[in-house]
Amino acid sequence: MTAATASNDPVVRIRGVGKSFGSNRVLNGVDLDITRGEVVTIIGPSGSGKTTLLRCVNALETYDEGSITLDGVEVCYRDANSRRHRKERELSAIRAETGMVFQMFFLFPHLTAAENVMLGLRKVRGKDKAEARAIAERWLTRVGLADKFDSYPAQLSGGQQQRVGIARAVAMEPKVLLLDEITSALDPELVGEVLAVVRQLADDGMTMIVVTHEMAFAREVSDLVVFMDGGRIIVEGRPDEVLQNPSHERLKTFLSRLDSTRTRERAS
Amino acid sequence: MELALYSLPFLWQGTLITLAVAALVAVFSLVLGVLLGTLACFGLSPFRWTIRIYCDLIRGIPAVVLIFMVYYGLPVLLSFPINNFLAAVVALTVFTTGQVTEIARGAIQSIHFGQAEAGKAIGLGFWSRMIYVIFPQAVRRFLPPWVNNLTDVVKGSALVSLVGIVDLMLAIQQVIGRVYEPMPLYIVGSILYFLINYGLSSASQRLEGHFAYIRE
Repeated sequence: MTAATASNDPVVRIRGVGKSFGSNRVLNGVDLDITRGEVVTIIGPSGSGKTTLLRCVNALETYDEGSITLDGVEVCYRDANSRRHRKERELSAIRAETGMVFQMFFLFPHLTAAENVMLGLRKVRGKDKAEARAIAERWLTRVGLADKFDSYPAQLSGGQQQRVGIARAVAMEPKVLLLDEITSALDPELVGEVLAVVRQLADDGMTMIVVTHEMAFAREVSDLVVFMDGGRIIVEGRPDEVLQNPSHERLKTFLSRLDSTRTRERAS
Repeated sequence: MELALYSLPFLWQGTLITLAVAALVAVFSLVLGVLLGTLACFGLSPFRWTIRIYCDLIRGIPAVVLIFMVYYGLPVLLSFPINNFLAAVVALTVFTTGQVTEIARGAIQSIHFGQAEAGKAIGLGFWSRMIYVIFPQAVRRFLPPWVNNLTDVVKGSALVSLVGIVDLMLAIQQVIGRVYEPMPLYIVGSILYFLINYGLSSASQRLEGHFAYIRE
């Protein structure tokens, strides 16, 4: 994984990516570039392929067609032409360079908050215990959990758990952070504390791909908003263009539906 | 009763043999069962199918048939005799491994797939994910049925007396043959078997406490 790329080359380059689950075509020729320090938000109705696309970037899913490169390195295949799948060890090395935060947190329940963050640092990055602990404490402090180092996930609220999830991902110093609907499983009053952490990471220049239904948040942190439907990118542009004055019909419908759900939720 | 007490040293020898058989079978079947259980979850499909068939077959065959098969049957095929202790341990290991495999497979599969994904996402390889993420969680679900199985192994080891191994069971029979007092001796034997298994259960409860971490 060499490719000392020029800083304006994209960190993640997605070209013509297609994927089917059986007869269901979930990705249908997606092109997207994410440059260093950029925050790209993917929105769209469920089943539009946005989560699948995100999972392809760290090879939790494979793509059948096209190419995804991370800093110039093809993610799933040994090279883009032969389509030979990478070995487990190569995949692990690539995944170590991407961070992922899950909708359902997926913290390790048998480990404390600090140990959750330390595991990758120790077993993947090969750091010794003291150094890993110091890094874990630094990140947990940054996400506002300075008093929770030794708490187990079950002792934490959803918002706190998700912040541990973020710390676990960013402590590995990934080239890109992938956020998969990270506030969807949270109680409404806990969403803010998690988004505040993401906002701070964005300000610090972390490269991120964010799948979210939080439109206000997307508007605020994104450099680029991408609207997906039917496995394709339908609209892409600056957040004010895409969200404020949606020109495309399907995007308009999607945003208005989202608004009416929100209003209903608030009313109830 | 006096006679029964008089025979205790001899019964103790038998008990040691019973413990040795059970311990060997328990260790071998644990190692093999966890390995096969892991393969049954994550292996290539030919492995998975072979293991599936093995477990289903073994479940349908009495342990004693396996012991006779190895002790009386195999030597004919290989045309050299097999030591009865070795034959018994091999047969019981084959039998018990089938059960431990199923227990391990169930324990591993009960762990949410998100745990493996979270392990992958931070760059852990397959065995690291197993050792640091999956097994520590699966062990809690593995222990109770496994200890249950262990007591079956201890009790099932009485079958080795059928191929002439002087374990606790055969020791009891031999003493009875000499003194013609079956009941006191069967009672002493039962107490010894019970004590072994009671020790196992209480040890396992302590172990389960050790692996209990707060969750949910």
